[in-house]
Amino acid sequence: MPRLNKRSSYYVLLLPALLIYLAIIIFPIFMSLGLSFTEWRRFRMTGFIGLGNYMDILSDPVFHRSLWNNIQIMLISVLGQIPLGILLAYLLHRKWVKGTKFFEFMIFLPITISSVVIALLWNRVFSPVGIYTTFVRMITSNPDYVVRIFESEKFAMLPVLVVLLWQHTSLYMVIFLANLQRIPSSVFEAAVIDGAKETTIITKIVLPALSPVIFTCSVLAISGSLKSFDLVYAMTAGGPVNYTYVMALYLYQHTFTFHNYGKGSAVSIIIVILSVGLISLVRGIYAKAQKKFE
Amino acid sequence: MSGRTQTISRSWTIVSYILLILFTLVTILPVVWMLYSSFKPMGEIMLHPLRLPTAPTWENYQKAFKYGNLVVSFLNSIFYSGLSTVSTVLLALAAGFALTKFGFKSSSVYFSLFTLGLLITVNSVITPLFIMETSVGLYNTRLGVILPYIAFGLPMAVLLSTSYIRGVPDALIEAAVIDGASYIQIFWKIILIVSTPVLATMAILNFLGNWNEFLMVFTLTSGENMRSLPVSINSFAGRLNEDYGLQFAALVVGTIPMFILYLVAHESVIKGFGEGALKE
Repeated sequence: MPRLNKRSSYYVLLLPALLIYLAIIIFPIFMSLGLSFTEWRRFRMTGFIGLGNYMDILSDPVFHRSLWNNIQIMLISVLGQIPLGILLAYLLHRKWVKGTKFFEFMIFLPITISSVVIALLWNRVFSPVGIYTTFVRMITSNPDYVVRIFESEKFAMLPVLVVLLWQHTSLYMVIFLANLQRIPSSVFEAAVIDGAKETTIITKIVLPALSPVIFTCSVLAISGSLKSFDLVYAMTAGGPVNYTYVMALYLYQHTFTFHNYGKGSAVSIIIVILSVGLISLVRGIYAKAQKKFE
Repeated sequence: MSGRTQTISRSWTIVSYILLILFTLVTILPVVWMLYSSFKPMGEIMLHPLRLPTAPTWENYQKAFKYGNLVVSFLNSIFYSGLSTVSTVLLALAAGFALTKFGFKSSSVYFSLFTLGLLITVNSVITPLFIMETSVGLYNTRLGVILPYIAFGLPMAVLLSTSYIRGVPDALIEAAVIDGASYIQIFWKIILIVSTPVLATMAILNFLGNWNEFLMVFTLTSGENMRSLPVSINSFAGRLNEDYGLQFAALVVGTIPMFILYLVAHESVIKGFGEGALKE
């Protein structure tokens, strides 16, 4: 075998990864952008319609509802999962309890379960033969109680949000715990000896130290919320009516049910724009907050 | 003063126990309930939803395996997750080596290109991907699932491997070059060996992620024999399927493999997730 020179070795090592990545992720993004300006009828591209697909989507009430539901998912992620994750990580880190490894092991367990399994399991939990229903029946001594609230337009997203909290909080707990362990323990000891209150320790030591990670986690949570599909699809498939529609489900319907690839692509581009916009917004807030701390 | 500190820390102990036990119960109870309910016949589930099985039976499992094509799906899941994980890890380490130790100016451009991928989600490319795969004949093939799995694993894996390999001493590589080793040999004999810790992290994150992946298999394949476990299990969701025992058995089958992995390797799993996200 002839010896490769340095430059050829460089490309031999780099190109396999780069080509697969370019072909499957970067190229389709541009293709998506192109497709989003085209009109499709009966499985066929019928022409160029400029921003037509975008106009259709942005004026569709089902899309509005999907967007609102994604926003709810985002709020529960950023304002629910992350603070709860910090709280749990902090309680474990201060070692006020025995068996922290056990608690960590148990609470992190849902990370190994697929969203589809979680969705079907929780549907059973809320079903007439479920844990939740049976529990409420026992407390209220009403043997005929069934969960009805999720059928209403207003509360249809509630079970999805509850399950998301159950599913992902522990991910943030683990991330924050790993980062708390990087703060030297002498810092905590010194603060306790000085008689600092827990609330002071949290606001003056823990949160500033964690702020870069909180930022990263918010980015993770936002991009995760905008793409959510598996759980919602398996749990409600968007129903009842379209009360639990999310943008990815809307996209799925247009691409794979109606075979309107133009509209489907336009939805993906909207998701990308939203994602980049929101992440820049969070970055801006973070930069401002950092200045304040200094 | 130390007395006061002690009282305060005792009340925190109580608060911690209450919150942590509550959280653990909420996490574990549905899973435990699913496990034992899968051994109950339908009638018993209806009458006594919470009671432990009085006469445990494997019947639900027999039915689930018979109707659900679960063995094939299980093997598919192993194949998809295994092959894509090995490929992603190897390709990412090779790219990481190239991007950090060769000193070419283009490296930083390629590196930023890879990190850009962290923000791109599956559903932003799924429509064109479907069209592309249909037109080149990859639709409904196993390769058509594995290639996107590899691609979507790459951004994070390249990030982890570059930041790790950057820390490998240059002297190690220079010495091998002087000894007459080629760069490709150096990759196989040195880089791969010294990268074992990050390799394990990448492999675990990838394997778990791909094992539980749903959308790509669901949209890029149509044949029953191409399905992975999550997609097969989703077919037990139909409104026609009112046999809860059967459903529970299917859910348990979908949970057990990763549950075992977690039991064996939970420290690496927890460490992987804790550290994986730091690097962004």
